Amino acid sequence: MDTLLIANRGEIARRVIRTARARGIRTIAIFTEADRHAIHVDEADLAVQVSGYLDIASIVAAATDNAEGLSTGIHPGYGFLSENADFARAVGSAGLIWVGPQPEVIDAMGRKDKARAIAEAAGVPVVPSATVTTGSTSEITFPVLVKAAAGGGGKGMRVVRDAADLQAAQEAAAREAAKAFGDDTLLIEKYVERGRHIEVQVFGDARGNVVHLFERDCSTQRRHQKVLEEAPAPTLTAAQRDDITTAAVALAQQVGYRGAGTVEFLLDDATGEAYFLEMNTRLQVEHPVTEEIIRVRGERLDLVALQLRIAAGEPLGFTQDDVTTTGHAIEARVYAEDAWGGFLPQAGVASFVRWPGQNPGFNASEPGSRRAKTRVSAVRVDHALESGQVVGTGFDPMLGKVIATGADREEARRNLVAALDDTVILGLTTNTGFLRQLAASDAFRDAAIDTAWLDRTELTRPDDTNARLAAGWAAQRADAAQQPSALCPDGWRDGGPAAPVVRHGLTVPTRDPHLPAYVRLGVDRDEVVVEGERFVLEHPGADRDHAVTAGGDVLAPMPGTVLAVRVAPGDQVAQGDVLGVIEAMKMELSLTAPFDGTVTEVAATPGDQVVLGALLFEVVGAESTA
Amino acid sequence: MTTSPTLRELTADLRARLAAVRAGGAGGSESARTKHTERGKLLVRERVERLLDPGSPFLEFSPLAADGVYDFEAGSAGIVTGIGRVSGRLCVIIANDATVKGGTYYPMTVKKHLRAQTISAQNNLPAIALVDSGGGFLPMQDEIFPDREHFGRIFFNQANASARGIPQIAAVMGSCTAGGAYIPAMSDETVIVRNQGTIFLGGPPLVKAATGEVVTAEELGGGDVHARTSGVADHLAEDDAHALDILREIVATFPQRAGGVPTPWDTEPVEEPLLDPETLYDVVPTDTRQPYDVREVIRRIVDGSRFQEFKKLYGETLVCGFAHIHGHPVGIVANNGILFSESSLKGAHFIELCNQRRIPLLFLQNITGFMVGKEYENRGIARDGAKLVTAVACSTVPKFTVVIGGSFGAGNYGMCGRAYDPRFLWMWPNARISVMGGEQAASVLATVKRDGIEASGHEWSADEEEAFKDPIRAMYDEQGSAYYSTARLWDDGVIDPADTRRVLGIALEAASHAPVEAPSYGVFRM
Repeated sequence: MDTLLIANRGEIARRVIRTARARGIRTIAIFTEADRHAIHVDEADLAVQVSGYLDIASIVAAATDNAEGLSTGIHPGYGFLSENADFARAVGSAGLIWVGPQPEVIDAMGRKDKARAIAEAAGVPVVPSATVTTGSTSEITFPVLVKAAAGGGGKGMRVVRDAADLQAAQEAAAREAAKAFGDDTLLIEKYVERGRHIEVQVFGDARGNVVHLFERDCSTQRRHQKVLEEAPAPTLTAAQRDDITTAAVALAQQVGYRGAGTVEFLLDDATGEAYFLEMNTRLQVEHPVTEEIIRVRGERLDLVALQLRIAAGEPLGFTQDDVTTTGHAIEARVYAEDAWGGFLPQAGVASFVRWPGQNPGFNASEPGSRRAKTRVSAVRVDHALESGQVVGTGFDPMLGKVIATGADREEARRNLVAALDDTVILGLTTNTGFLRQLAASDAFRDAAIDTAWLDRTELTRPDDTNARLAAGWAAQRADAAQQPSALCPDGWRDGGPAAPVVRHGLTVPTRDPHLPAYVRLGVDRDEVVVEGERFVLEHPGADRDHAVTAGGDVLAPMPGTVLAVRVAPGDQVAQGDVLGVIEAMKMELSLTAPFDGTVTEVAATPGDQVVLGALLFEVVGAESTA
Repeated sequence: MTTSPTLRELTADLRARLAAVRAGGAGGSESARTKHTERGKLLVRERVERLLDPGSPFLEFSPLAADGVYDFEAGSAGIVTGIGRVSGRLCVIIANDATVKGGTYYPMTVKKHLRAQTISAQNNLPAIALVDSGGGFLPMQDEIFPDREHFGRIFFNQANASARGIPQIAAVMGSCTAGGAYIPAMSDETVIVRNQGTIFLGGPPLVKAATGEVVTAEELGGGDVHARTSGVADHLAEDDAHALDILREIVATFPQRAGGVPTPWDTEPVEEPLLDPETLYDVVPTDTRQPYDVREVIRRIVDGSRFQEFKKLYGETLVCGFAHIHGHPVGIVANNGILFSESSLKGAHFIELCNQRRIPLLFLQNITGFMVGKEYENRGIARDGAKLVTAVACSTVPKFTVVIGGSFGAGNYGMCGRAYDPRFLWMWPNARISVMGGEQAASVLATVKRDGIEASGHEWSADEEEAFKDPIRAMYDEQGSAYYSTARLWDDGVIDPADTRRVLGIALEAASHAPVEAPSYGVFRM
């Protein structure tokens, strides 16, 4: 393979480019208009704009047009087209090398019902299921999970706890599935209340060799979205591990699997049994934790390199006996999302970004900081976010992954906490503080987090006291450095004790409080990151200037015509509610309630010509001076 | 004879007096303060604190003003003034204390307000007025209204300072009646607090008396009226805190240095003195008759305790030399005994050097006077004293005076007393100020009286003479105290000796905001 097009973006594109470059392979990135300034575009040898990351024709063309006569591969990364068999076929038809399993395998594994059948054929335990027709629910043990056979991502999925609700759930799930996947086939399976998500990394080559690279535990999830992932799985017994890895290999062998795949299992906490869930026919987001612990004849293994070699027709080059593990690795996914506000995706400019272990390279305009605590040798960061980058909501909001390693799980966990403490992203809300809190929690320490834990456990946003103290301290230091010594901001008073220095509502300590915080001082507000959590501290300002009103009289601000009247006398209104609209000088002006209160008079009628200052509405409320 | 209190004891007394006037956040009685805060208003000192930048030092002017002057509690003369940093700019703050006589202006209030304006004008510092005043104190109208340095001068100063590009801003945080109304009206930019601030030339009672119109204060001149209708105020604030925030934002629009004046002298990196200023208490005797080396004081005030002395071997009773305080260059003129012809000539020479080099002058006053006696008069000490006085009077560099001991007679003039327009003048708590010592005054007056009695053929016994002298001594004793001085605003405050360095540092910073003109002198009598 001479050239590799990466049909993806973000950190995975960079990840693949890194390996390709190490192997002397020329790289082609693709990008959309929104990603014109993305890092992966800059890093690849060539970048081609495409209309979208799902546009098969233009992506294939980007490869064929730019690598004539060369042996060219396409790596799909994860997400986007990575599990799209049509894409795999299009790549093959264009004479390009598909870095992934055979299209028919993708197809088969992409359907939950088919995958289930394959697993059963391979002797892999699957979740007990039922095919029900209305009226014969008595044989089913509830709760059950109703899910779309063609589905994924939680769409068309319903937990049913009572027979009475089953039909409605089935109907709803079918509707959703039909809409999302064009296929309303449903599966009904036993619902495991508390379980752990265990997955096995497998690799197969064209000669039918299949190995596993042990397992990962991705039980820390919120609404089926993985949050923390680790390897090896902390709660597995040797026997369980043996069973699961053997089953995974059997499954892959059953379909003659080629390339990298992941076989996912649900380990029932109650019974200790592991059930096959699905197989992902691509490289996983969390593959780094496997890379960090797997040794092949004592050497590290680059999973992307192995994918490329297999795609090029090479054999695995090692056997199961060559594979060992060392230590422990934990990955935390950093997302642009508000973990304390319903995990809503966040957008904005990441005005300052410092990943753990990076050289600070601080200058005066950059956030003042404590000394970094990250153990550089124990932390890996796969990311695609640098200072100044714009984060939009058009794509998956993952910004990067922080992977910490250690001789054992506890060491890795501590290293992860330290690394998240040193993860500084300003200008944008991220889940870093949430990840840090989670990684530091007793529940995670004790490996007691099952897949539904986050959905039933409420974590609270850390309080901002340390942030305010740190910002106050930093502002104090900056101020002191700027002032002539006689005007040093020490609260000096002639002939009396110094006045307390109050910043951000707290008395600034006189000595360095050594807080674990990064601070960027601004004109209107300071930004602070404490233990990964970002706080925005507004400076007191006069924003309320002119906000107050004379009373409840709403007057015509210009001479004009009343277009609309939205209230009637006696209506309750809140401050800012639109009472009516007038048109004046070709502008439509909304007349709003000056404060919360009751409309006592409506003197306007649509169509009225009103003069400047004419009384249009009157509102009486608690704050009225009337 | 009882031993005089030590400087440490006198300083403790000073700090207690300062703590007392500052206690409670305002100068009024507890009931006045409660009434004030119950209306949602901040107390005057709280307003100042909120206006200042976090941690900003605040150099208050004459906090003990009017103390003991009137037959009522006059808490800091009902007005808090000083220098502090607002939005990064050094400003003069002038804040009425409505808990003292409703914030009305009695004579010391007027004098203190005018003094703060002078400091603002001389140092090119923006003036911020926090107005909460009922106007003139009517029972004393003859002492506040008609004369040149009376109430009207405030507005004259505002107009002329504004003309020179020195920003004048005001927040109306309470009543602002009659003459007081002109403070916001004469300001460049004005904030008014809704339902608190009122501005009118005649209040509701006067309006009713004059025209019979019955009107509320808010209708007559409240925040809404002035922000929306009359345009007298430019910003409407919801409360005190909001008004102060608006003021801070207004100040943030000022140039860093009013009029864009460059620093008139170069500054050096700052070094703390090698000797702790607190050790001043141990080296300075409080008995003005007891000599000590003034260099002990200088070493505890100047950067790195470094003092480059001028003409050290000549006119040794006046110590002159160069040093830095908080990085600013200063030429120090310090008494180390009585002024003789030589010391006067040396002082005049040194002052000329400082003017030529644009180095601010610091006078450390501890002077009983010029040498008297036939020999000295015949050699023309008056002529040499006049040279020193001329040099001081005609100096254009900023001058600062600290009375660290006695300030008597013509020594006060030669050492830049209040009449010589130092930018600032402070007293130490041990300082004494009078035309001569009480004992000398009593003796002089007794001699004159004895001459008169004896000329008319009567006798005057020693006991009678003592009885005559006692009240004179007592009067001089009372009137010579630093507190008598500061109550009457003969100075800018009594300061803790250990604060001298910091006080001077702030004053030098302030002074560096104004340009220094080229000097020219009157006739030096040779």
